[in-house]
Amino acid sequence: MKLLSAVITVAAGIGAALALYWLLNKLAELMPTKWEERIKPFFYILPAYLAIIVYLVYPAIQTVVASFQDATSTEFIGLANYTQLLTSGAFQQTLVNTLLWILIVPATTVVLGLGVAVLADRLKPSAEKLAKTIIFMPMAISAVGAATVWRFIYATQPEGQAQIGILNAIWTKLGGSPVAWLQTSDFRFNSILLMIVLLWAQVGFAMVLLSAAVKGVPGDTLEAARIDGAGERQIFFQVVVPQIKGTIITVFITVTIAVMKIFDIVYVMTNGGFNTNVLGNEFFNQLNTNFNSGAAAAIVVMLMVAVVPIMIYQVRHFRREEANA
Amino acid sequence: MQFPKRARTAVLAVTAMATAASLAGCGGGSGSGADDKKVTIWSSIDQPVQDGLSKTLTAEAKKEGITIDWQKVENINQLIMQRIQANDTPDIAFIPQPGVVGDIVKRNKAFALDDVVDTGALEGNMVPGTLEAGTVDGKLYGLLVSMNVKSLVLYPKKAWEKEGYEAPDSIDGLNELTDQIKSDGNTPWCMGIESDTATGWPVTDWFEDLIMRYGGPDEYKKWVKNETKFDSPVVKEAAAEFEELMFTEGNVLGGRKAIASTNFGTAGNPMFDAEPGCWMYKQGSFITGFFPKDVTSDLDANVGVFGFPPAEAGGDNPVLGGGDLATMLDDSQSTKTVMKLLSSTDIGNEAAKSSSFISPHTDFDAANYPDDLTRQVASVAYDSSEFLFDGSDQMPGEVGAGTFWKDMTAWIAGQEDLDTALKNIDGSWPAS
Amino acid sequence: MTGMTAPTQAPPPSETTAEPAKRRRASSFDPNPAKAGIGTKIVLTLLCLTWLIPVIGTLVTSFRPLDDSNNSGWWTVLGSLGNLTFGNYQEAWTGSNFGNAFINSFAITLPATFIPLLIAAFAAYAFTFMEFKGRDVLFLTIVAMLVVPNYVALVPMLKIYGFLGMNGTFPAVWLAHIGFGMSLAIYILRNYMATLPKTIIESAKIDGASHFQTFYRLVLPMSTPALASFAIFQFLWVWNDLLVALVFIGPGDNEPVTLALTGLRGQLGQGWNLTTAGGFLTMVVPILVFLSLQRYFVRGMTAGAVKG
Repeated sequence: MKLLSAVITVAAGIGAALALYWLLNKLAELMPTKWEERIKPFFYILPAYLAIIVYLVYPAIQTVVASFQDATSTEFIGLANYTQLLTSGAFQQTLVNTLLWILIVPATTVVLGLGVAVLADRLKPSAEKLAKTIIFMPMAISAVGAATVWRFIYATQPEGQAQIGILNAIWTKLGGSPVAWLQTSDFRFNSILLMIVLLWAQVGFAMVLLSAAVKGVPGDTLEAARIDGAGERQIFFQVVVPQIKGTIITVFITVTIAVMKIFDIVYVMTNGGFNTNVLGNEFFNQLNTNFNSGAAAAIVVMLMVAVVPIMIYQVRHFRREEANA
Repeated sequence: MQFPKRARTAVLAVTAMATAASLAGCGGGSGSGADDKKVTIWSSIDQPVQDGLSKTLTAEAKKEGITIDWQKVENINQLIMQRIQANDTPDIAFIPQPGVVGDIVKRNKAFALDDVVDTGALEGNMVPGTLEAGTVDGKLYGLLVSMNVKSLVLYPKKAWEKEGYEAPDSIDGLNELTDQIKSDGNTPWCMGIESDTATGWPVTDWFEDLIMRYGGPDEYKKWVKNETKFDSPVVKEAAAEFEELMFTEGNVLGGRKAIASTNFGTAGNPMFDAEPGCWMYKQGSFITGFFPKDVTSDLDANVGVFGFPPAEAGGDNPVLGGGDLATMLDDSQSTKTVMKLLSSTDIGNEAAKSSSFISPHTDFDAANYPDDLTRQVASVAYDSSEFLFDGSDQMPGEVGAGTFWKDMTAWIAGQEDLDTALKNIDGSWPAS
Repeated sequence: MTGMTAPTQAPPPSETTAEPAKRRRASSFDPNPAKAGIGTKIVLTLLCLTWLIPVIGTLVTSFRPLDDSNNSGWWTVLGSLGNLTFGNYQEAWTGSNFGNAFINSFAITLPATFIPLLIAAFAAYAFTFMEFKGRDVLFLTIVAMLVVPNYVALVPMLKIYGFLGMNGTFPAVWLAHIGFGMSLAIYILRNYMATLPKTIIESAKIDGASHFQTFYRLVLPMSTPALASFAIFQFLWVWNDLLVALVFIGPGDNEPVTLALTGLRGQLGQGWNLTTAGGFLTMVVPILVFLSLQRYFVRGMTAGAVKG
């Protein structure tokens, strides 16, 4: 019964979505040709835009309003949320940490993802499949799962007891005394350890997209370059990279934006303690621990402002693309 | 306009989807208002406790013609605050933090219980102070249904008795006992405050126990409201005692530097090694759930417990604890009836038998508890002069789940000195 | 920097583009004669090992009794092989209503993967191949929305759902995932479609194909790798999602696996050992999806389509 009702619901949902487009297309075709051409693009993006407006734009606007209001969103308090956050030393450290994440993680993700995509591409299919599955696997683990997994890497036991974290096991074998890795904030060492967890979890994302792009590079262009006597390195940088540049940018920007609001890994592993706090985690705590929707909203607005340079880059990229098309 | 045949199919599909949607529905809370003789309850308490309570409650409610739908949820504090803003809540929620009960009241979503339950009778049979924990602005909003006791020191019974150690009757006595254990060549204390997202909370319990003993319950309550600052003599006195016990060379397994990185759940396990790695662990009653299997298989033989001693022998001895406060988010007659049932002493009869449940009612039949250890823990609470709810759970989130944890951890890890830590905590207190 | 994303060497359209659905893999030549040298193999092997260590650690831990995991490192397991047990798996399976939760997870994930993919593909097509007023602004709004944390939408949507009486239903979560995944889906698909040779699409138009036909017969098949990539991600996110399910579905009859698993943990984190086992149980499905969709990443797909 459960199964049956689930199947019916799923079928109805998917059917309705298909029917919607069929209807929209029919509707457009019923119009005079001149109108059809003009109206069709809007019909095509309409459902997408509806979803985005309801689920993102509308809440985003509410957030902007809330950022000028007090903790329970009942009274307007001007810029108080912003000034309070920006003048707090802890929040400034949070900004520095977030910036560090943005500088390190996206670039490393793209390099590793591209490396795996290109190198695995040269293996025989079965080996390629295996390598890519292994790199992908962490993506299938939830953040809570990842925290449990990495506990067994970073864990510390008091001196004299058996270490259950592999890092300390090696370290003490080498003669060191146990180190509380995640609590070592010199040179932001613990932040970097958290970044490693994210890299481990997300390189699969970059790999999947980049691999699809690398496979999309027409074989004959590679062939032609080889006939011209180009070396593998040259082929990579002069034939492959230019053709997948669009995807590289897509991945880079996507990861950058994801890192800007990174939350779960920091939350489950340190909850921002020991100077590892980042904006996403601070936002979450303001909203769900402090129940201060004003401060939480102000953080989101700062993120929205910070994304503007990325958008400007995207516009320019667009224009060039158009010009070259 | 002609309506094509396939468009009709589409309309059918949309209708089908809507129907399926309503078929698939009925998962969430039942909302307030209409009395449908069905009461939904959400809680985050451990499954065995919930199962036991639910069993008794369902049977009792059935007699009144009411069905109970009791769900366990993760992070009830967050979920409830979201649901409240959306006006879609369960009828009763078990809130583990009085501060959150206060937040709900602030948003006018909780219903006072003064006329729902028999407060006069409850004052007579509940541990003194437990009703106060759920009282906001003079009215009772949160009713403590199950509790835990935190003013406890656990020890490895067999080894302890062999050495002939005795439970102390004052804090000075505790210091002497610590020295005695050390002079026998042993490590007196187990200690660990690492707890993933909540690292640092065990140290807040230490401070609370010490502050309520040095300053007395009234000073403790002022401190919880920040009327007495963190940067004050009583907090510093507590810190000095904590330093004496925990920072003195050789007092803690692994030393001071291991405290912040040792998990609270496993920190006590070395007590049960063949040669105990440490001899005392101050923790809440729930800690036995983390002990190794061969220990928990016979708790009474393996684990001993004494109440954290009063400042002076024979002096006032309040007890620190926590628990889950049943909060009414709906005022239908059925919900009120269920709330009344929850306030009865016997509601815990089943839960006590098969879980870590401890009843906040002093007239609870102790024979229901599964072992002597639990009976002892319960009597620590029942014999106390006053039950004081965990202070960090009553403070605003910025402090009680923020700086109090983090700055104390930084102090213990040696990354911050005490004065800075105390000032930081005071500074993080929200304006209103 | 040329900023070129479309392949410069796109061959001229052939006369068969009217029937472009006849894709076939170019098998007449070895598409990728580069062979992995020993260096490549070593690098990849090391990388894979690094990636695997945490996973193996968890796998081993999921078979160990809790006391063992607390007292010794998982790599010492060879010394206590006799202790290994299915206990964690058993407890995880029976402790939560897993069978039912699995059905729910599928009922949530399948539509929440397919529908956004469909909607995003149409929109991405419009943004790439159609001319209309405000196109850039509309697209950039979508990019900007990537940075909005889903979290801000939860309470407003709860209110709307509460008003509509939709809380706790499957469509409530589908729609939420459609909304939350839409930005990224359109962004990824549009950027991929922009790399497809425009000449083919234009010639299709000249041949009298409607937008619908071009989209369905030409652009969709050529975008298979990007569609497959996004399908994998969306499936994964929805499958592993706890937050949206917790807020919009809540505990009860319709709860998915992720929600059922959280019930295993105690208030203070007791029973984390069950999450290792539960985690592996839920991991199986996304990995199977990945494996089955991986075959769409095949060299020469675009080239094949071009050649017709």
